[in-house]
Amino acid sequence: MENFLNFFTVLTDPYLFLMVGVGTFAGVYIGAIPGLSVTMAVSILISFTFSWEVHPAIALMIGIYMGGVYGGSRTAILLNIPGAPSAIATAMDGYPMALKGKAGEAIGVTTVMSFLGGFIGIFVLAVAAPFISDFALKFQPRDYMFLAVLGILLVGSLSTGSLIKGIFAGALGLAIGSVGMDPLTFTPRLTFDLTFMKSGISFIAVMIGMFGVSEALLQLHQVGLPSIRQKIDRIIPSFGTVKKHLGLSMQTSTIGVIIGALPGTGGDIAALMAYDHAKRVTKNPEVPFGEGAIEGLVAPETANNAAVGGAFIPMMTLGIPGDAVTAIMIGALFIHGLNPGPMLMIEKPDMFWFIVGALVVANFFMLLFGLTGIKFFTKVVEMPRSVLIPLILLLSIVGSYAVNNSISDVYWMLGFGVFGYFMRHYGYPLGPVILGVILSRLLDDNWRRAIISEKEDLGRFFVGVFSSPLSTILLAAVILIFVSQTPLWAKMKSRLSSAKNRSHS
Amino acid sequence: MKRIVLGAVAALTMATGAMAEGYPTKEIQGIIQWGAGGSTDTVMRSVTPHAEAVLGGTVVMQNMTGGVGAIALNYVADAEADGYTVLMGAENPLLYKVMGLGEKDYSDFIPVSILARGTAILVANVDAPFDDYAGMIAYINENPGELKLGATGPGGLPSVITAMMNTVEGELDVIAVPFDGDGPALTALQGGAIDVMPAVLGAAIEGIKAGNMKPLAVFDLEANQHLPEVPTIVSFNEGYADFLPWGPFFGVFVKQGTPDDVVASLQAAYHEGAQHEDFVALMDGRGFTLMNISGDEAQSFLTAWQQNTAWLLQDAGLTQASPEDFGIARPAE
Repeated sequence: MENFLNFFTVLTDPYLFLMVGVGTFAGVYIGAIPGLSVTMAVSILISFTFSWEVHPAIALMIGIYMGGVYGGSRTAILLNIPGAPSAIATAMDGYPMALKGKAGEAIGVTTVMSFLGGFIGIFVLAVAAPFISDFALKFQPRDYMFLAVLGILLVGSLSTGSLIKGIFAGALGLAIGSVGMDPLTFTPRLTFDLTFMKSGISFIAVMIGMFGVSEALLQLHQVGLPSIRQKIDRIIPSFGTVKKHLGLSMQTSTIGVIIGALPGTGGDIAALMAYDHAKRVTKNPEVPFGEGAIEGLVAPETANNAAVGGAFIPMMTLGIPGDAVTAIMIGALFIHGLNPGPMLMIEKPDMFWFIVGALVVANFFMLLFGLTGIKFFTKVVEMPRSVLIPLILLLSIVGSYAVNNSISDVYWMLGFGVFGYFMRHYGYPLGPVILGVILSRLLDDNWRRAIISEKEDLGRFFVGVFSSPLSTILLAAVILIFVSQTPLWAKMKSRLSSAKNRSHS
Repeated sequence: MKRIVLGAVAALTMATGAMAEGYPTKEIQGIIQWGAGGSTDTVMRSVTPHAEAVLGGTVVMQNMTGGVGAIALNYVADAEADGYTVLMGAENPLLYKVMGLGEKDYSDFIPVSILARGTAILVANVDAPFDDYAGMIAYINENPGELKLGATGPGGLPSVITAMMNTVEGELDVIAVPFDGDGPALTALQGGAIDVMPAVLGAAIEGIKAGNMKPLAVFDLEANQHLPEVPTIVSFNEGYADFLPWGPFFGVFVKQGTPDDVVASLQAAYHEGAQHEDFVALMDGRGFTLMNISGDEAQSFLTAWQQNTAWLLQDAGLTQASPEDFGIARPAE
């Protein structure tokens, strides 16, 4: 009980309270700028806060983390450029809303839903952390592989128009992700003996190019047209809207917490899976998906903010990072003389409650900063295109350079930008490319780990799968979704019914 | 953004203070070979503020990852040899040549300080059917090809420890399952995806204390003060004594050709900085052995480390090119 009181540390200490607030504010804007990532901000903060006490340092980092995950949605909605990988799915319905002049409404829904998802993540962290981390540890390489396959099947949901083109785009993404020195054996793959190819292609550079530069190039077609006036009278969604989507947001938050808690998967995959889930369970959306469906905003935004709480679960209970940001925070705790690991919760339970408290405060600040300043943001899209397009290009260049301080990333980014432009021009969806790049390593590494562990014997592999309930369920889900999503299902159905008819006649 | 601003400031001071004498007259760039939050990062970020105090200058640290650290190494090697670009690295570059990862290694650099050394430990899943190293060897012999041993790719700590075991015990019939690093591998160990993992003591110590993994043996000549009850590997097999002490290490380097007085001030700064009680306590807490050596002592440490490890890997058939091709002599028997 005494330790639980640390939950209120942030609320009672004005300095810490301020730190969380400053962090969240900075996070929203860092997240909104493509290329400036939370991971980067937190790693810079490590050296910046070195001489500080541990509490303000962690408070600031948590603020940035919470704000940053949310901030990615801003540019996704307003410019069709996801500020962070976890906002890729948000752009798919958020941008169409902005095109209809409903950017204010889209941002409002996104903010409230992020807040809700964030809370569910924190709640699960607070009450069920040891339980969830035990569950997360049960995931074997083969289970991660099945998860990745489930992810690949999202191609269907992310492809607007031709499925074949979507599959091509997804396969391209998988290929891009495998370029470079193979991390398991250090064998060069698809490097053509070129030194600069050895370190692989930066995923962020691909994302910024494909979404940012290609969008700027596409908008050049309409450079003379007046920009869309945005209505910003109705920002905060009505209680009815929130209530209507409560059921969905609970489901997608659950997806977010679990995917976030798994070491090796984070908010980006969670958001995409949640989007797919929403598409499958929403029978009659008011507006079709891809054209500005509210459900298409609710799902990814609840999931990626719920994943924040999720990522802290293995970090606090086992000292295992749930994602890249928590990995850096573990380093920060070390530097400040704590020993993150399974003993942290036992030796320093006050730290656990302090972090939970800081997350709650950060979540409230996110709501506050999210709902204010919308007017300023919507002005961005109302700018003339001749100003906006160079601005997007500038941000894309700065962003892709900043990731690794490497000029070759800028070239990759520009190359993929031009390539993405032509892909869009010929109706190839870009979402599956990014999906492929994100999942490439997860799929490749874990498939190899799984099969190597079974002496490269498929028989043994399947014995392993069927002796574990978790693997069996995941495999069943893969098969079910595959069959229901492909034309195979429709064909089988019609063949079955026609066969029935024939036997009748 | 901050870096860009700092870079601009540095460029300005360089332009105005070209005739300044003494060192340092501007910010020193510290290039860390590994990512934020990792072991190398933690070590460098905790020692450098103390060194800065002695030096009376600022060291701006930056993580430059990729290519097993080769990108950072090449960056510093391409910079001016003026002591304003410092490499903060780990042991990996000494194996670049034999592993085919690059043409440069620490022989292109002058060691400012070898700060600390890690110790390897063999840990097992709590449900493993053995409790010590001898039990593990017996299990492998009774169940050939069944034990899953974690790995992190050729040149990593697990590959060196595995090569040692194969040299001392004869070829062990195990399945090596590769992971991205010891963190993910130790996670997998706790989930039962692998049975045994050779890891650096600092990464495993918290898990061992909590009873989430079983220590089998410490790869050192003497028991570790943090885990005094864990037997040393030499207590099971004397044959390991030839290769020990061995461990990953962390060091600060400048490019060959850096003026002697600059090297001397850096060496003095890091030597004193590494004695600061905060740093000593941190190293101790993470299970690292403080070394704090420089000059000839550091040079001979590096040479011996490279000879031993490169030839160990060569004999285990894990290298891309023979150490001989690079003039790395076989260690004297």
